[in-house]
Amino acid sequence: MKIFSQSFQQLEQALSTATLKQKVIASNIANVDTPNYKSKTVDFQSTLNQALDAQNISSYKTSSKHLPFSNEVSSFNPEIKVNNETKYKNNGNNVDMDYEMAQLAKNQLWYNAVTDRVNGQLNSLRTVINEGR
Amino acid sequence: MSLFNGFNISASGLTANRLRMDVVSSNIANANTTRGELVNGEWMPYRRKSVELTQSGVSPFEQKLQSTMNKGNGNVSGVTVAKIEEDPTPFQLSYDPTHPDADENGYVRLPNVDPIKEMVDLMSATRSYEANVTALNASKSMFMKALEIGK
Repeated sequence: MKIFSQSFQQLEQALSTATLKQKVIASNIANVDTPNYKSKTVDFQSTLNQALDAQNISSYKTSSKHLPFSNEVSSFNPEIKVNNETKYKNNGNNVDMDYEMAQLAKNQLWYNAVTDRVNGQLNSLRTVINEGR
Repeated sequence: MSLFNGFNISASGLTANRLRMDVVSSNIANANTTRGELVNGEWMPYRRKSVELTQSGVSPFEQKLQSTMNKGNGNVSGVTVAKIEEDPTPFQLSYDPTHPDADENGYVRLPNVDPIKEMVDLMSATRSYEANVTALNASKSMFMKALEIGK
């Protein structure tokens, strides 16, 4: 029997993605004055798609309204992408400080929210262990 | 450990920006130093110094290649000081025949330090320092939150 539900694993992955994101944002902020540094982002979209296409066996659908097979949690590897397209300053650097600060705040809140959910899961488990007392 | 990396990256930013501030302080303090270094028995004025930053863990070759191709790399790493460079611009000349370091025409060579430029550099370094402090605090609060899991 599985004690921890699937959403517990998903939350864990969300936490590690948030940690990676924090690392990347810290790197962007530290290198804000470094010549030729290009800003980096954690690509969540491809991660999401990867998770959605997790099933190795895809169901044969004759209609777009058909439901897919059960959604197994795959181990996803979020990708770090380098933004080479833009130039923000004369020295070839393209770190947008305001954007990075906004991302930092967002990531922090997201991390807190996920941590709350992990605690919620653990609390429900605790309730069951204590027979609802 | 992966979470502490965020700390280290921010800390490298703090160190680099503190050095920038130190160099600016040195430039401002020596804005009138006529005896900076002895070259062939002759006193030369202080030369303005500036800090060159680079991404840590990236080799000079890689860096050159990236800047030529106008591309960044995938390394997530902090910042480090590549070198402290001297400004090659000419010294200022000031007419003051009573000065002990004046030449035969009465001109004194003064350092090529521009106080306005230094103040702008100082502000830039201070703001970057503050940004790194913010990032560090964010990492810290996230870590504190993670310690609360299961309580």
